[in-house]
Amino acid sequence: MTKHRLLAATALSTLMLGAAPAMAVTVTMNTVQIFGTIDPAKISDYTDYMAAVNLYDGLVSVDSAGNIIPELAESWTVSDDAKEVTYKLRDDAKFADGSPVEASDVVYTVERLLRINQGPANLFAGVLAPGSVTAVDAKTVKFTLSKTFAPFLTTVPAIFILNEELVKANEGSDDGQTWLATNVAGAGAYSLKSWDRGSQMTITRNPDYYKGFGAGPIDEVRWIITNDEATVRSLAASGELTMSSQFQSPDTYTALEGMGRFTIAKEETSTAFYLKLNSKAAPTDDVHIRKAIALATDYATIREVISPGGVLSTPLPKAFAAFHADDIPEPVYDLEAAKAEVAQSKYAGAPIPITLGYVAGTKFEEEISLLMQSNLEQLGFVVTQQADPWNRITEIAGKVESTPNVNQIFFGPTYPSPDSMFFTQYHSEAAGTWASMEWVQNPEIDALIDEARGTGDTAKQADIYKTLQHKLVDLQSDVFLNTQTVQHAMDKCLTGFKAVPMMSFDYDFTRYSWTC
Amino acid sequence: MEFLLFLLRRILWSILVLVGLSIVIFAIARVVPGDPARMALGPTATAQQVADLQEKLGLNKPIVEQYGMFIAGLSRGDLGRSLLTERPVNDDIRDTFSATLELVLATITIAFVLGVPLGVAAARWKDKWPDTLVRVLAIFSAVTPSFFAALLLQILAGYVLHILPTTGRLPHNMEFVAGVTGLLTVDSLLAGRLDVFGEALRYLLLPATALALATMGQIARITRSSMIDVSSQDYIEASRAFGVPEPIRVFKYMLRPSFVPPLTILGLEFASLIGNAFVVELVFAWPGMAAYGIRTILQKDLNAVMGVVMVSGVFFVLVNLVIDVLVGFVDPRVRIRGSR
Repeated sequence: MTKHRLLAATALSTLMLGAAPAMAVTVTMNTVQIFGTIDPAKISDYTDYMAAVNLYDGLVSVDSAGNIIPELAESWTVSDDAKEVTYKLRDDAKFADGSPVEASDVVYTVERLLRINQGPANLFAGVLAPGSVTAVDAKTVKFTLSKTFAPFLTTVPAIFILNEELVKANEGSDDGQTWLATNVAGAGAYSLKSWDRGSQMTITRNPDYYKGFGAGPIDEVRWIITNDEATVRSLAASGELTMSSQFQSPDTYTALEGMGRFTIAKEETSTAFYLKLNSKAAPTDDVHIRKAIALATDYATIREVISPGGVLSTPLPKAFAAFHADDIPEPVYDLEAAKAEVAQSKYAGAPIPITLGYVAGTKFEEEISLLMQSNLEQLGFVVTQQADPWNRITEIAGKVESTPNVNQIFFGPTYPSPDSMFFTQYHSEAAGTWASMEWVQNPEIDALIDEARGTGDTAKQADIYKTLQHKLVDLQSDVFLNTQTVQHAMDKCLTGFKAVPMMSFDYDFTRYSWTC
Repeated sequence: MEFLLFLLRRILWSILVLVGLSIVIFAIARVVPGDPARMALGPTATAQQVADLQEKLGLNKPIVEQYGMFIAGLSRGDLGRSLLTERPVNDDIRDTFSATLELVLATITIAFVLGVPLGVAAARWKDKWPDTLVRVLAIFSAVTPSFFAALLLQILAGYVLHILPTTGRLPHNMEFVAGVTGLLTVDSLLAGRLDVFGEALRYLLLPATALALATMGQIARITRSSMIDVSSQDYIEASRAFGVPEPIRVFKYMLRPSFVPPLTILGLEFASLIGNAFVVELVFAWPGMAAYGIRTILQKDLNAVMGVVMVSGVFFVLVNLVIDVLVGFVDPRVRIRGSR
């Protein structure tokens, strides 16, 4: 009998005897990297956000369709010129300590975020300036933007509201950074119970949460930090694990499913997997060579065998349905057509040296790289494999000359707007990061991205984004491999996992329920 | 006097080693690829944000000046802030060091308690089946990588038999805050919490055993050869001729001088395990300093890397110093050699 069944049986028997209330429901999930920080002004990766979405609430949140939904704010209005956004806070919104959430807390939170200038602050660079957020009254707060920035509404979920009074009481000499690194001052549904860096974090349900909970609420969430497959299997076998991370090996998913207690929940995501082609270095500076590489890619094998996922035919995943250029055909694997492209290039007629880069130690990326090598060598390429640790990749991406010709990169939206995909990867201002190893730096592309940012008209935005996709596909900025399928082994009693196109918002445990 | 000279030489040598270590690790940390500011701020940080953080961290300053800043901080006992955890490195190390120390102490205890008797038994029945058995066992345990032993034990105890916990230091629903020493086994006894003590021991057993196997094999082999070496000495032959009972001969006259080599090995192992426990810590999600060190290296968290290496280095040097003194105490010939 597993631990969960034992708990359930115990709970049932006590209820039948008319005794104590039901047992608390604890969800134990493994995660493969440690929680770095829980300070809302500094969070930057998916584990940080996973904790933050449960410990804090924002003015608004995001649902699985990418819609902005009310949270601390019950409504919002946008001015005609799209430069002023006014949020009306819920009357009953309160922090975990019971104090009301007021407009001044929002002002303090944003000012602190801009002062520290880390984490989510990059979303508001050039958009919000100190003093641009004001309290109209205790429950109304107004954001005045420095310029029209169409995706603004979609970036606001990343602002997790702080309890000003509580932080100021503990701000020390560093704006509360030391204190907020290990303490919570938010209005989230969960409070921090224990945190043993390097091994686990446990959060516990705040019974007075202002929004309340649905049926079968999760009382405690415990994250165990381990990326070891054997450990995950042991935890599952002993009945301790409720939900796996999304990064387990296929064997582990199969083993867990075989235990009978787990089901494998799969969701298509808006994270795309690209071969980023360095357009400023020979030979990938020639569009015919880039097209040849795209035609020499065995999409079906990669998508169905090596790295399972959905079809990606443009830089934008289909999850952004309203903005997706559906008229662009799926990429095809055609070595004859690839040979024809090579023949048209300025490098035709001689062996063509090319470097294929991937993350060292990542088995499936190595397999993809070897598959590419076998196909490219048939076209006359002389392939050099370049496996680099992730640290090194973040560095070599900073210069054109150190960026390999071909780079395997996953990239997903950090806020639910196509802008997140286009600006970070293709705009000249964002060049020099691992997300922009194409080195597109094209004034026409920049202008289109800026134009989309500057219009509040959604239909017009959609047109611009579709044009952008056509242009980038014509340029063959990347090889569009697939969209990532995220999967978790989940206890059959746990429901509620739905992929959300914003970092880790799919792990907001108020959306989950225990059905047994 | 000769002992004081011996001690003074050892202390001076230890300081030199630490200064050398600080220079080497500082240089290595700077040339390892990766931009710490970029890694800390995430992929979407603007170039300006990265530049601001680089300036704040002093990464734009000449390397000699950076080293000077590091040494100045070190002299104040300040290891700076970690980019990975956003806390003072001192706090991170304080929190994680006790977990590693507890694991290593348990490891050494298991290795010693099992290794010495096995070595003595092998020497006592030299070239007979107990000797062969111990030698085979010792070789197997010495050549088995600790990560393999860890996985094997974890699968057996956690996955197949379900008899021992496989991750962490305590059950998640057990409320206990480590106090004075940070060692859960000690603090729980001090607080009179026998339930916590029992659980802490259960959680220690698997990782400590996995880590102890290799050391145990070494200690068994060295104890055996040392005992055999001593047993051929004239004074042992004489004691045998005088009819001294075997237990007294073995445990009084043979074991003490035989202790010097295993004691040296034990000290070296103890010190090196502080830094080398990371594989086992990662497998068992043990929140120790070794695993923390690995994570900081992967993130190129410069201050934390320096902090972990320096603390490990200080510990290594201190343990070696203590071992030298102990060996000098047990064997006077060593301190006579050392004071020349």
